[in-house]
Amino acid sequence: MAQSVAKPETGHSLTLGGRVRKLFGAAGTIRRQKAIFVVSTFVPMITLFIIIRVIPIGWVLSLAFTNFNLRRPKLFRFMGFENFARLLKDPVFSISFKNTMEFVLISVPVVLILGLVFALLINRKLKLEGLYQTLFFLPFILSSVPATIIWKWIYAPGKWGLANYLLESIGLDRVGWLTDPQIALLAVIVVYVWKNVGYYVVIFLVGLKNIPEEIREAAMVDGATRWQAIRYVDLPLIRSVMLFALVMATIAAFAVFTIVYVMSQGTDASAGVEISVLAMQMYQEGFTYSNMGYASAIAAILFVISCLAVIVQFRFFGREQ
Amino acid sequence: MTSHNAAAGISRPKPRIKWGLILLNAFLLLVGFLMILPLIWAFLSSLKPSTDIVTQVPTFFPKTWTLEHYVELPRIAPFVRFFANSLIVSIVSAVFVIAVSVVGGYVFAKYHFRGRGLLLLLVIATIVIPMETYIIPLFLTIKSLGWVNKYAGLIYPTIISSTGIFFLRQHILTIPDELIDAARIDGASEFGVLRHVIFPNSVPAIAAITIVNWVYTWSLFLWPLIVASSNKLFTMEIGLMYFQRDNIIDYGGVLSAAVVTLLPILIFFLIFRTKIIAGIATTGMKY
Repeated sequence: MAQSVAKPETGHSLTLGGRVRKLFGAAGTIRRQKAIFVVSTFVPMITLFIIIRVIPIGWVLSLAFTNFNLRRPKLFRFMGFENFARLLKDPVFSISFKNTMEFVLISVPVVLILGLVFALLINRKLKLEGLYQTLFFLPFILSSVPATIIWKWIYAPGKWGLANYLLESIGLDRVGWLTDPQIALLAVIVVYVWKNVGYYVVIFLVGLKNIPEEIREAAMVDGATRWQAIRYVDLPLIRSVMLFALVMATIAAFAVFTIVYVMSQGTDASAGVEISVLAMQMYQEGFTYSNMGYASAIAAILFVISCLAVIVQFRFFGREQ
Repeated sequence: MTSHNAAAGISRPKPRIKWGLILLNAFLLLVGFLMILPLIWAFLSSLKPSTDIVTQVPTFFPKTWTLEHYVELPRIAPFVRFFANSLIVSIVSAVFVIAVSVVGGYVFAKYHFRGRGLLLLLVIATIVIPMETYIIPLFLTIKSLGWVNKYAGLIYPTIISSTGIFFLRQHILTIPDELIDAARIDGASEFGVLRHVIFPNSVPAIAAITIVNWVYTWSLFLWPLIVASSNKLFTMEIGLMYFQRDNIIDYGGVLSAAVVTLLPILIFFLIFRTKIIAGIATTGMKY
């Protein structure tokens, strides 16, 4: 023990000043400069990052195993998997879970396929390319609440709404866009797809533009049709962009909140619990009823299933890279 | 162009191509028009008298044009205040995000230290984890700090952008080490390097991050919804919910308010269209 302390290379025997010099370099050196810089800028920054972006994740996962309630904090205790057992029996949770899954399984493929198709159509050196990008991208850039409110007006019930007017004018029956449980979620998905498809058009367009034109031309020279050029040149070469878009779309769809919330607020012409999704139920349990523990359990489930989905996607589509 | 094609031996029959192109353009114009049709229709309807907005026989253009809904807006809710609040959040957030991203990007790109890989992995991982999943601990944090219904609380989670850090890191990696070392040899401190080498060489990347962040903070909804409990602190997005409380929706008010809310971002978008699209496309992120 005493011998090892005496060994100079372990550093234990150094004085405080010596230790500082070893870590941060001697005064006036570049090493010292860098050390001062890192301690005064990077360390506070990374601390903020960890406090705001990392710790809350562990925090919410552990809150999920407690009964923490903002109004009755003194009753706080750990309860193991009780919250999750309760969720399994909670009828609102089964609706939210089913809706979230339905939302992801429908909106993700639709938004990606439409995004890809329109990107391929636009990527033809068209003169109006800028205009098309703008038109498709506009709904994405606009804030969700006013955009959703406009759609709520379009979906207005009975004979008052534009959507129903259009249905009737082509000879179809009126629909309870937000009141019929069979249709309400699909009506929300329509708004979501309308709002987000432009983002994927732009992402895919960037990927397509990064493909050197020579490769496509070479394929055409070899007698490939346009469809074959897309199938064997474009699509394989934007594989990584497609994986990225798939991951982003999936995560965003799992966490969908704003559109669903706005659609279900207010009593007149609004959808109710039948379009609830996980983020929505988490908000209500946590911030309307102050059941932070129970809400955290919902958040934890949301977190785990989106992570699982992303891992599966990387396994499945990221393999050959 | 033509000589190039001729050299490559491609001679496409011109008339057929043109028809295809016209058809394609017509199709894209139609779909593009449908994309913005709800917005146009809502805008035109906000200029109609209330009785014509919700009617059994809707018209596209107003039969009588009126600004009554816009005139009444300030009486219903303090929209100027909401606008200022949105502006405050996005500006303060932008200042922090730029500073944090440049410093973080520089250190992650050019410094070597133990734990760098792990920290960078955390940054990348948190890019894809939506804030909704850990919003409860964020709220508990600002509650314990006494920041509920305060600007500090409203801004708190927006001052760090994992996307920003990672994107700036990727960009600063491309700045040659020689440039940085030369500045150091000339006697520049690390702050000097940051100011005179890193910053001037990262302006496009910083612009991209700022734009993405602006769009992101402007459209934040869930966070201000739980933090702002009085209309002094409402942002544009939350302010619109004013119209959703009553049992009977005042569609004229809602639509004109929606138009007013959309307008700043629409103008911003139309002015900086190419920059915004490029920014969002290159950072690839929604936030």
